Amino acid sequence: MSGSAELHPLVQFVFQLGVLIVLTRVGGYWLRRWLRLPGVLGELIVGMLIGPYALGRFAWPGLGHLFGLAADGAAVSPELHAVATFASVVLLFLSGLETDLSAFLRYSVVGTVVGIGGVVFSFYLGAGCAIWFGLASGWLDPTALFLGAIATATSVGISARILSERRKMASPEGVTILAAAVFDDVLGIIVLAIVVGMVRAGGDGRGIAWSDILLIAGKAFGFWIGATAIGLLLARRFSRVLKYFQSPEAIAALALGFALLLAGLSEMVGLAMIIGAYIMGLSLSRTDLVQVIQKEVEGLHNVLVPVFFATMGMMVDFGAVHAVLKVGIVYSLLAVASKVLGCGLPALFCGFNRHGAARVGVGMLPRGEVALIVAGIGLTSGAIGQDVFGIAILMTLVTTLLGPLLLAGSFENPASGLRKPEDAAKAESKEIVLSFPSPDMADFMRARIVRAFRQEEFYVYRLAPDTPTYHIRKDEMFFTLEGEGDTVVLRVAAQYEPLARLVVVEEMLALRSMLHMAQEGVNIESMEHDLVAGLFSDDGEDNP
Amino acid sequence: MNLKKPLTVETISLDLQGDSKEAILAEMVDLLVASGHIRDRDAVLKAVLEREKRMSTGMQNGIAIPHGKTDSVDCLVAALGIKRAGVDFGALDGQPSNIFVMTVSPDSRTGPHIQFLAEISRPLNDASVRAKLLAATSPDEVLHLLIG
Repeated sequence: MSGSAELHPLVQFVFQLGVLIVLTRVGGYWLRRWLRLPGVLGELIVGMLIGPYALGRFAWPGLGHLFGLAADGAAVSPELHAVATFASVVLLFLSGLETDLSAFLRYSVVGTVVGIGGVVFSFYLGAGCAIWFGLASGWLDPTALFLGAIATATSVGISARILSERRKMASPEGVTILAAAVFDDVLGIIVLAIVVGMVRAGGDGRGIAWSDILLIAGKAFGFWIGATAIGLLLARRFSRVLKYFQSPEAIAALALGFALLLAGLSEMVGLAMIIGAYIMGLSLSRTDLVQVIQKEVEGLHNVLVPVFFATMGMMVDFGAVHAVLKVGIVYSLLAVASKVLGCGLPALFCGFNRHGAARVGVGMLPRGEVALIVAGIGLTSGAIGQDVFGIAILMTLVTTLLGPLLLAGSFENPASGLRKPEDAAKAESKEIVLSFPSPDMADFMRARIVRAFRQEEFYVYRLAPDTPTYHIRKDEMFFTLEGEGDTVVLRVAAQYEPLARLVVVEEMLALRSMLHMAQEGVNIESMEHDLVAGLFSDDGEDNP
Repeated sequence: MNLKKPLTVETISLDLQGDSKEAILAEMVDLLVASGHIRDRDAVLKAVLEREKRMSTGMQNGIAIPHGKTDSVDCLVAALGIKRAGVDFGALDGQPSNIFVMTVSPDSRTGPHIQFLAEISRPLNDASVRAKLLAATSPDEVLHLLIG
């Protein structure tokens, strides 16, 4: 094959996908490992580097222009675009599935106020930036609407990791950030629904009258609320139908299949696909199938989502961004300011002092997957141009970089984040640390404690598949369970410490009685014997 | 959670008669029977005794929180008993126990159990509440002190 040979589109697609999966994994790993930066940055940067506007101009030996511009001038091939779209549906389906709806409905008023503050400020400053710099003619211009919507959604996963590392997950700031992020997610999706609806209704978006906004917003909101309500009402029945198929693989595949169907339906009614996927996830989030589906779909997510981020990176046209770099920098700074002020100010009025308010503000800073998906929708629908898309990517990079650094820095000063010292004493985080003779035993106890809290009807979810960190939550009670090696650590606000101690002591007693039984263990010994008996004794005589 | 529902005037005794741990536990289980949600009194007593065998639920300052799980109850049931003279319950501080909060809940169903115990006994951290409980003259007064 010659160096300039062009491949059959399907073969080219397979190579593209393979290269993207390998490079994003390696890039993400390096960034996480060596620079301790979120992997998503590495994935985006890999995409930007190998995309058609950078190294993609050059031919790969034997493979031709693997990442050149597509025949129609698009930055990515239709095949790759389809994979990225599918990845965004999977991403938002899982995101909906992980949403703690109970927390959203019942949790702290502070979280709700902080979430609303962040969304309103971000949308206003994001859309305003487009107008002030002449990129949009008015508030209803698609560019303004998209820059507003892109700025709204916080990607809390990045902050959650820092909170976990700093052991601040159960702090008042940590709990508020997590609760606000739930609200922020839901509100961000509604904003997107309305924006997409308005842009589509207005054609090029410039002909829409204020009088139509109410109708479009009503339609978007109506579909959202209607589909979510129906989803939640039918979720248990739907989960019973899924359980009929028994195998976890079948259950997860069917759930994902229906998420895709609802995604298609929401696109048909003029909304974005991800909205349908999110609603399907949200509906199933209150059923007992959550873990089963999460576990099965996570594999798909882990392979596809880095490809999605890289594809978004590939779409960045450096030439177009260069022309609007100044706007991009201002937009990024406004995106920072909008969350710090929009979330920090309401926090100031809800019992936090300036330290606490600043922590809440910077914790809400990182934007990630939803911002990129919204930007992608804007670009492919033609509502925004390459320049505005580039601005959005720049903002995502800046906030994803700054967020963790500022959040970690804000906890350097150990001062309480609460205004009243007595509240601080009540919310002061207590640690219950247990050391076991072996990591296996610690793992076992973690599993027992998780089970015990579930039996008390707490919502327990694991933060990430690769770390044994759990959030345990019920009403206003919040615990984190973690630990490394042979230790188990339960963190809890001082006022709930007695409950935590009582739960743990019951599990310790259960462990002791199990060990006692094992020591007495006549039965266990005979079971062990039966298991290994005859393993190496038949010299193959029973084998044909 | 609603603390008022399981604990009622019928399941409160201000004058427990027993002089031993076993007698107090049996008396408390009899109080639970008054809730009407117990199908097998002996199975309930067995569950509570077995839990006591693993480790005494006698805490400090005269408080004991005996509890157990068994499917012989329909739902979470609770009782509160007072024995002013106190009884040796094998408590952590070696002192006699005089305030007993008992909870039993179904084994095969999820729901608050330890959470109920923790919440109902939270006011007992306060020495003045304990003193008022010991001086209470009616179950209503006890309910008012713990639940408000």
